[in-house]
Amino acid sequence: MGALSSSSTAVVDGVALTRRFGATTALDGATFSVPAGVTGLLGANGAGKTTLLGLVLGLARPDDGEIRVLGLNPSTAGPEVRARIGYAPEHHRLPPDTRAHDLVRHVAQVHGLPSRAATNRASDALWEVGLGEERFRPVGTMSTGQRQRVKLAQAIAHDPELVLLDEPTDGLDPVQRDDMLALIRRIGTEFGIHVLVSSHLLEEVERICDSAVILREGQVVASGPIRELTGQGRGLVVEVEGPVEEVAARLVACGLEVAADGHRLTVLERADLPRGTVHDLVRDAIADSGAGIRRLSDRTVSLEDVFLEVGA
Amino acid sequence: MTAVDDRLDDAGGSGEARIVDRGYRHYDGPRTGRWGAFRALVVHSMQRALGLRRSAAQKVLPGLTVAIAYVPAIVFVGMSVLLKDTLLANANVVPTYSEYYSFISAAIVVFSAFVAPELLCTDRRTGMLGLYLASPLTRTSYLGAKAVAVVGLLAVVTLGPPLLMLVAFTLIGQGPDGPAGVVRLFGEIALGGLVVAVLQASLSLAVSSTTTRKAVASAGVILILLASAALSDALVSGAGARPELFCLNLLQLPFELVRRIYGDISPVPSVASIPTITLVAAYAGWTVLFGAITWLRYRRLAVDR
Repeated sequence: MGALSSSSTAVVDGVALTRRFGATTALDGATFSVPAGVTGLLGANGAGKTTLLGLVLGLARPDDGEIRVLGLNPSTAGPEVRARIGYAPEHHRLPPDTRAHDLVRHVAQVHGLPSRAATNRASDALWEVGLGEERFRPVGTMSTGQRQRVKLAQAIAHDPELVLLDEPTDGLDPVQRDDMLALIRRIGTEFGIHVLVSSHLLEEVERICDSAVILREGQVVASGPIRELTGQGRGLVVEVEGPVEEVAARLVACGLEVAADGHRLTVLERADLPRGTVHDLVRDAIADSGAGIRRLSDRTVSLEDVFLEVGA
Repeated sequence: MTAVDDRLDDAGGSGEARIVDRGYRHYDGPRTGRWGAFRALVVHSMQRALGLRRSAAQKVLPGLTVAIAYVPAIVFVGMSVLLKDTLLANANVVPTYSEYYSFISAAIVVFSAFVAPELLCTDRRTGMLGLYLASPLTRTSYLGAKAVAVVGLLAVVTLGPPLLMLVAFTLIGQGPDGPAGVVRLFGEIALGGLVVAVLQASLSLAVSSTTTRKAVASAGVILILLASAALSDALVSGAGARPELFCLNLLQLPFELVRRIYGDISPVPSVASIPTITLVAAYAGWTVLFGAITWLRYRRLAVDR
């Protein structure tokens, strides 16, 4: 197990994290790093996402391993860590008879803002999430979309360094979902607050996140920048007219990974080769085989492909 | 110079005005830390229980209860002013400070059955507990803040009316003799009020920690108070059991301690025969038991996130 240093630039660092609940192992040696920016925490239900958020917040201690959040150990400095974190839970149940502004202001105060600053920033936060005109309405009279925005406002009102969002688009219609995703992206870029989004919606994470951590049965099966994760399967798709087998054999002989499907060949890029080399090798193999090209295109890999590939 | 600048000059504008979108601003001011979080939760909880910043309907029950607790004090003070000679002739008309609690025991029971469920059950039911525990508050400091809020609110009922009487009687010349007497009586009032508030608060917090339904918790508090009084009375008065079993009476136990604080003697001989140390030990035992129930319950409570 590698030791974590407090000088790490990562927002959250976890090494060999294990957390058990009785006979159930919710996290099983999870090692990951959440960099600056917007990061998605992906996994099916029961993959360990909520347990991991609990460890980040310092609400539970790992049975084994080590975690650092914003350079601190949340197990021993929980209140200090939580003062610098904003959190929006998955559930929509908020005090129905409390006005949105009162709720956001109160949560900001609990996170350490003096009364006057909390009042001002509660208004600002509600304006930022698009509830400026609705801020004095009781939460119980608001729609699900508005409640999601109230949850977001209370998470950012105290100006945290890191915001944890648990299924922030749950219950939203497509238009509201787009607005919410744009807002989360703004928080991570324009507002300068690091964001960790827990979600099982891959397309959302791919749209707004810079990085992702993918969990399966308590283990991290993939993590890193989205660009790298989806780039791992990058390559070419070529439809060949003529001796397909010969073309494939020539490419394999060059050390490339090739999958054949009828006249279609999928050729994966090799990380050790300069970009564009595969294109040249494919061109040469086809020319040398006397075959023709019906179609040639880049192979694109979505986060869903990665997700399925790692079995999450 | 552009045409727009010309028009601004014509309109008397300086040409310097700009509409500024401030956007998101970071906060560089002071932060209050854990103590600030604790204080914010205490204040917010007290405001919520009193119905402040809430609809008029939410203010009715706390308002009525507080009024019921204070009305007898106001009436007694008024009687003392208006019927001074009559009262002097018959001093028993105005109750002593310890006897005052028998006039407002119903208000105390109702208030204690209302306050803690409002503060604890609501947080669990609405998911606020999860938000609090994602803040600098810990489970222990959360419970501490709630306990302070509940005791503070109950003190409004148990401490306020006797203090009002002390101030009023002192002002109309019927108070204790000299500053020393006032200070001593103030101390007795403060201690007596807290004795009643702390036990009621610990009981109602313990009951409220077991359910998310406010009505169930309120009914539970009232039921336990009345059942304990009935059981104790049946054992001591009905079955002739040891007088110390009076300590099972959670309703009257704090009131009897208040009598001892003021130096008064219980009108019930069997109760008067119980040593004060026994009453204090029983009081402390109950308070610790209820506190432990609440803490243990919250220590392992699964928080809805």
